[in-house]
Amino acid sequence: MNKIEHIPTVCPYCGCGCGIELVLKNGEIAGVEALRSHPVSRGKNCLKGRNAYLYAYSDQRLKAPLVKKNGKHEECSWDEALDLVAQKLAAAEKDGAGFINSGKCLNEDLFCFQKFARIIGKTNNLDNASRFCHSTTVPALVSTVGAGVMPTSTLSIEKSDCILLMGANIQETYPLLAEKVILARSRGAKIISVDMRKTPTVKNLTDLHLQIYPATDTLLINGIMKIILEEGLEAKDFINNRTSGIDELKAYLDTLSLQEIEKVTGVGTDKIKTAAHVYADAHNACILFNAGIAQHANGIETIQALADMALLKGNYGKPGTGVCPLRGHSNGEGFGDMGTVPVFYPGFQRVGEETAARFASLWDVSDLPDKPGMSYMDMIEKCRVLYIMGANPAMSAPDINGLKKKLGNKEFVIVQDLFMTETAMMADVVLPAASGAEKNGTQTCVDRRVQRVRKAIEPRGQSLPDWKILCLLAQKMGAGEYFSFNSSEEIFEEIRRCVPQYHGISYERLARSGGIQWPCPDESHPGTETMFVEKFGTSDGLAHFQVAPYKEPLEMPDDSYPYILTTGRVEYHFHSGSMTRHTKRLQNEISEAFAEISICDSEKTGIPDGGAIVLKSRRGEVRTRARVTSDIKEGQVFLPWHFPDCLANILTGPCADPPSKMPEFKFSAIKIEKVESNGK
Amino acid sequence: MENSLYLAWSSESEIQKTASSGGAVTTLLKFALENKLVDAVLAVKKRDNSRFDAVPVLITDPELIRETAGTLHFAPLNMAKFVKDYLDGARDTRIAVTCKPCDARAFIELAKRNQVYRENLFLAGLNCSGTFQPAVADQMIREVYGENPQELAMEEIEGGKLIITLKDGTTKEKDLAELAGQGFEMRENCLRCSCKIPRMADIACGRWGNNGQAATFIEICSPKGHEFVDAAARDGVLVTEAATGKQIEERRQKETEAVEHALAREKRDLDGLHDLSHEERLKYWVGHLNRCIKCFGCRDACPICFCKECYLEPYRDCIAGGETPPNIMFQLVRLSHVADSCVNCGQCQDACPMEIPLTRLYNSLNRELADLFHYIPGVDVDAPPPLTTATDQELSIDAPYIIEEQSSAR
Repeated sequence: MNKIEHIPTVCPYCGCGCGIELVLKNGEIAGVEALRSHPVSRGKNCLKGRNAYLYAYSDQRLKAPLVKKNGKHEECSWDEALDLVAQKLAAAEKDGAGFINSGKCLNEDLFCFQKFARIIGKTNNLDNASRFCHSTTVPALVSTVGAGVMPTSTLSIEKSDCILLMGANIQETYPLLAEKVILARSRGAKIISVDMRKTPTVKNLTDLHLQIYPATDTLLINGIMKIILEEGLEAKDFINNRTSGIDELKAYLDTLSLQEIEKVTGVGTDKIKTAAHVYADAHNACILFNAGIAQHANGIETIQALADMALLKGNYGKPGTGVCPLRGHSNGEGFGDMGTVPVFYPGFQRVGEETAARFASLWDVSDLPDKPGMSYMDMIEKCRVLYIMGANPAMSAPDINGLKKKLGNKEFVIVQDLFMTETAMMADVVLPAASGAEKNGTQTCVDRRVQRVRKAIEPRGQSLPDWKILCLLAQKMGAGEYFSFNSSEEIFEEIRRCVPQYHGISYERLARSGGIQWPCPDESHPGTETMFVEKFGTSDGLAHFQVAPYKEPLEMPDDSYPYILTTGRVEYHFHSGSMTRHTKRLQNEISEAFAEISICDSEKTGIPDGGAIVLKSRRGEVRTRARVTSDIKEGQVFLPWHFPDCLANILTGPCADPPSKMPEFKFSAIKIEKVESNGK
Repeated sequence: MENSLYLAWSSESEIQKTASSGGAVTTLLKFALENKLVDAVLAVKKRDNSRFDAVPVLITDPELIRETAGTLHFAPLNMAKFVKDYLDGARDTRIAVTCKPCDARAFIELAKRNQVYRENLFLAGLNCSGTFQPAVADQMIREVYGENPQELAMEEIEGGKLIITLKDGTTKEKDLAELAGQGFEMRENCLRCSCKIPRMADIACGRWGNNGQAATFIEICSPKGHEFVDAAARDGVLVTEAATGKQIEERRQKETEAVEHALAREKRDLDGLHDLSHEERLKYWVGHLNRCIKCFGCRDACPICFCKECYLEPYRDCIAGGETPPNIMFQLVRLSHVADSCVNCGQCQDACPMEIPLTRLYNSLNRELADLFHYIPGVDVDAPPPLTTATDQELSIDAPYIIEEQSSAR
């Protein structure tokens, strides 16, 4: 008789945190079904979610540890691989090693990783893709409302009566969040989209589209605020009682001219006014923003302006309001919570002497690093040894040609992953990791929802859960006592002790579908759906208006590179594609890149739809095919970054200054050349 | 054969305690397994004892049947699809399955297509007055009833009300219409469903007609139904009594009332659409269908769909891969493939992340086809789907337009 089991777990892709159910037939995954009991996804999934974890069975999985010998990767034993890694890490001088991690890893893996880096590596050189998606968000929202998190619950978005989508093509990239927007709209909510493209979200879910000139969002939002204030539509009581700094903001907005804003943003004053009125008339307005806003050098300012605008109308502290950063990764909140970044210990405790001392006492060690570590690209630049867990910078980081040169010059690179990624190919040691279907743990999605990920099948080949690899390595390096974990639950118990927001959460409490939203201070606390109900996360409890001036992007188009390139994602793939490109049904849909160009540019250059083209920037070139469309404006090009045959990030490059150091993925100057039929 | 009507209950006190309406179904399934009338039972179980988190469970140990006892209104599972996808359509195994009317109808449609082996299945039909999506119900209990969903001990739908009983014994009731007004509606397909008693199953079991006693009203609908019930009754585990005229009348009245209600709802939902002008109707549907993100949720959840090589897959070169929304042919192909056989189970709409009212589309076309072909899907294993078969009469029809086209092409 067949044995059937249902394993409820969480989708490993975007930050929506949808529930799925793995159906096991005689111990192997026979199907992926929707999890009806899940409060967010309610029995619905996108195509990625419907095929989640099937990559676990790919024949391309890494089966054994690999060591590079004479330029070739050769299989070896775990002992041999870990001995070598231990030796190289021990030899790296203090701060000489960098630890890059990923939101694809679970909280338990990430917690062990930062503990390993801090106790054994004696460094805060820790960073992950949050550098590439929300390094602008955190400083912007910390300076205004005191915390860089989604202040409402995904579910309550359906209660908003106005939703402003800023640079977020949610229908393709966060489908189950889009579903909440659809529900809100069916109940009368007005949807405004600010996007340079006519995305499916714009075409199908939007009432008002402001097709903006790329990277001028700061100015647009300032314009909307100017109108709200000039017409006296602001929430005066809220501003008086809960904020500071309105006078400075007013004074600054007075200096702006709507005509000038129209000229720079390319959005007519009438439309800006309509948007201002729609937003101002709403009782519960919600702003959802993503990479289209955050991946700009001026991202901090735009996000500050968004927070200003929400505060101006009192849109905080109620369900379905606030300024909500979307998270690209399934554990996109967790990889901040766990302190796997250069400036925070777990629980967003800022790196410094006091925090280091607190963790030293929690972990019973001495001498923890108390200076901020290096950020992502600085580690790539400067660290002699790199330990990369789950990340694939050889596709996801800016200026890949430059990056590959730097990786090639490292003394030692360790990559721990499921597959031989583009980054793993360059590694000295490759360690095979277990997939999320092969281990237990937790992940924390966009609305601070901590959820259980459950083991369904045994790890493939010799692969091991990330945390287990770190524990074995710690033993080899004489620090096993700090890593004596026997299960992911034991690690979670330590996470609870270290992360105040997680104090009240336990595996037992997480058994039910939907998990618990932090902050959850004690075991009787139900979790927090809406933040900032009574006070903000700032030291004085007030929100602080910030003056947020517009700045030009880092690399403006010129005569040599006249087009603006913006990179992005499509529905069927996820980030650098290491998981989706190993999933048959997703690959069947689309497996090659394309570049969207406008009809006007097609006519001007003679490039036909489907025509072969070369895109060139100051940093390199890629070949692809043109997709001629009326969805994009003249002079602009959209290119997805999932596909190794056309590495979009060869073209990108310039990064913002501290504190964000954000690469400006959404704005690079390029030129387009037609490939003649002889291939030249 | 006349259907036989009984009131029945379990003679095991343990089962009587945990099951509802006297535990007749639980007892019958346990008996069937113990006495090897079947090799396994597929039923529905509360995961972690939550009434909002039901899963299908395949049971071979009779002692475990009790875990599936009791009625659930928040468990719209897809039993036929489950048997087809995960249990090889019951090819080599005799399985007793508990099923709602739409599940039973889906089994019949799949049996016609040789995707499940009807002769190996014992369909224990359960009357159904409609289901809620569990996550929606959970939210409803919290927000409208003001109660902790985990404190729920039982729920019933009776007289247009959803009545909940908490573990401490208190009950609370709300009007279904009032709940709908607050955004908590039953699944849309259920509201229009006029198949409340699954007579296409081997037995159809429910509370209607039990006159408030701890007993199940069983209608026996097939020889296999007779065989199972008679054997359990002979053994003594199941106590049966012929239903009285009064009980039969009570049941008939309740059924009629529920069916009339459903038909009125169907009329309200579908006539409005039907009466739109062609342009308006097209606009309505294109507006909805353009939200499609091609997740294949509707196809994958559809219990009638069964092709191994689906025409909608990109490699079949009908619908281009990677486009959002897909060409509208995606929807039309699905519609033409299953509309004649749609059993109104609502699984497609449940699965749709873009909130496309798919059941409304299938339901309206199916209603017209049903009238045209005098065909009701999911009732008779021997009645072939009208759009995939041709009668002798149809085959003899001259098709002048084909001839004309050929001659004009010349």
